[in-house]
Amino acid sequence: MKRGPHLRYVLRQAWLLVGASPWLTAVSALTIALALTLVGLFAMVQFNASRLLRELGQSLTVQVYLKDGTPPPVAAQVEQRVRGRDGVRAVRALSREQDRARNRKLLDPELLQGLDEAAIPGQPVLEVEIEAELASRGDVEALVAWTKTLHGVESVEDVAFGAEKLRLLFAGVEIARTIGFVLSIVLLASAMFFVFSTIRLSVFSRRDEIDILGLVGATPTFIRIPFLVEGVLQGLCGAVLATLLLGGLHLELRGLVRDVYMLNVPWSLLPPGMVVWLFVGGPAVGLVASGLSVGRYLRT
Amino acid sequence: MIQLYHVHKRYPNGSEALVDVTLRVREGEFVFLTGPSGAGKSTLLRLLLVMERATDGQILIGGRNIHVLRDSSIPFLRRNIGIVFQDFRLVPRRNVFDNVAIALEILGLPRREIERRVNQLLEGLRLLHRATALPGDLSGGEQQRVAIARALVNEPAILLADEPTGNLDPELAAEIMGLLTDINRHGTTVVVATHDIHLIERYGLRTLALHRGRLADDRPRQPRPVVDLPSARVSQPVALASSPLSSQAVVDPSPDGPVAVAADDFDEGGDA
Ligand SMILES: Nc1ncnc2c1ncn2[C@@H]1O[C@H](COP(=O)(O)OP(=O)(O)O)[C@@H](O)[C@H]1O
Ligand SMILES: [Mg+2]
Repeated sequence: MKRGPHLRYVLRQAWLLVGASPWLTAVSALTIALALTLVGLFAMVQFNASRLLRELGQSLTVQVYLKDGTPPPVAAQVEQRVRGRDGVRAVRALSREQDRARNRKLLDPELLQGLDEAAIPGQPVLEVEIEAELASRGDVEALVAWTKTLHGVESVEDVAFGAEKLRLLFAGVEIARTIGFVLSIVLLASAMFFVFSTIRLSVFSRRDEIDILGLVGATPTFIRIPFLVEGVLQGLCGAVLATLLLGGLHLELRGLVRDVYMLNVPWSLLPPGMVVWLFVGGPAVGLVASGLSVGRYLRT
Repeated sequence: MIQLYHVHKRYPNGSEALVDVTLRVREGEFVFLTGPSGAGKSTLLRLLLVMERATDGQILIGGRNIHVLRDSSIPFLRRNIGIVFQDFRLVPRRNVFDNVAIALEILGLPRREIERRVNQLLEGLRLLHRATALPGDLSGGEQQRVAIARALVNEPAILLADEPTGNLDPELAAEIMGLLTDINRHGTTVVVATHDIHLIERYGLRTLALHRGRLADDRPRQPRPVVDLPSARVSQPVALASSPLSSQAVVDPSPDGPVAVAADDFDEGGDA
């Protein structure tokens, strides 16, 4: 003889509990939905920031400035050394004149009027196209460390690749991640508190029924399961709502990015498996909250 | 089937509901538990169901000492004891069928089996046409029968009934008594708590009298009942062969010597 309640019985009782207070259930589900949506947005921002940084890392350019008058064999030695690093895709050697020509294009034409050619900065330089893993700030520091070793090489004057900008970007991403994490915890905790409260009310409204079930021989588990399922159902409703909200937001954002920034947007800005996470997270929030509530208020 | 040894029950507020009660009820017996209001009848039933724990003494049900029963085992004890509460305690939100089905849902029986057994019992109790009614829409007699159906549907070894005729007119009371005696005839041990002395006089069954928490009288079954028991209305026998408690009853028929108590000690006023 089976011990546990039948699924059909459990679902029916849970459905009755939900139906007994549809407004509370709706508010609970909405809170979960909002929490999940915001958490989802944070995840989306993180995901895209990381992706952007990774793409940035795919095409970094490091300028290795050589001292004026560096003899070609020495320059070739430096180039050899640079090529020794993993991820170096191409090294282009520019002479002082080539560098000057490049700089001239960057400068304001008005400023160039009557300017002595020699006044335009120009220096022999190795333009290194490098592919680097940029997953964390540590990766930037590794790159910096590598450029420092080049500093020590004879006739290398300076090495530049915009490390400061990258550092700033990573710092921004990390701050956003921390804020997102803390806010996510706060949001999920408040959603849980809502579910906790609705389940408590649900338990109180069924006091008589709970007592009677106990008296005719129901185990505490049998009595509790419908309330737990009620919490899970609220979480499930929240997940459905959050999916719709995030889906809508995603469409909007994608359109915005495409129209305003003319970027070639990848098909999805959403982290992979996001919907799965929503449908795991929502019911999990509901289950934990109702479990806490039942554990506290449903003593048999 | 039921044995009490020097059972005391003192409620937290200090009231002595039971004092040194020792008694035995054999398997298959029908026993009235009587005494004036406040004598401790309901308390005794509550102890048997472990709704309360005895302050002192031992209680054995089917040979098992429930004094030492773990909390987690209580549901399984209760499945062997059907109880009909004085106030019925039906679940107001569930209809008649679902109220009765509870006792079988708990056991995890297949849905079809539950439907078969509940419908059969409801039919026997002439309640089938009320199967979808809510308890609030039932008459007192109907509610009483639903409560009895719920207590019986899982074929318990013991049936306890607290003032089952308390709120009913004599005709309905007789019908309920007929039902209970019929259930008893099929093997279930039945204990009926009542302060209705006339009811007891009519049936001449074994009667345990409580007086201020003490067992004051144990009157054995009269050789011939004063009136014929009403005919049974349960169409299907309430079989108890499968009941786990019935096989292990440890009973000795002779109770302790009775102490006489005057009939005027019983008041028939309202009971809690
Ligand atoms: N839950 C309780 N708390 C305190 N005292 C109680 C409680 N239940 C019953 N009593 C007291 O115990 C005594 C016996 O009550 P009860 O068992 O209900 O008697 P009966 O059913 O014979 O009328 C009474 O004095 C009553 O006041
Ligand atoms: Mg009573």
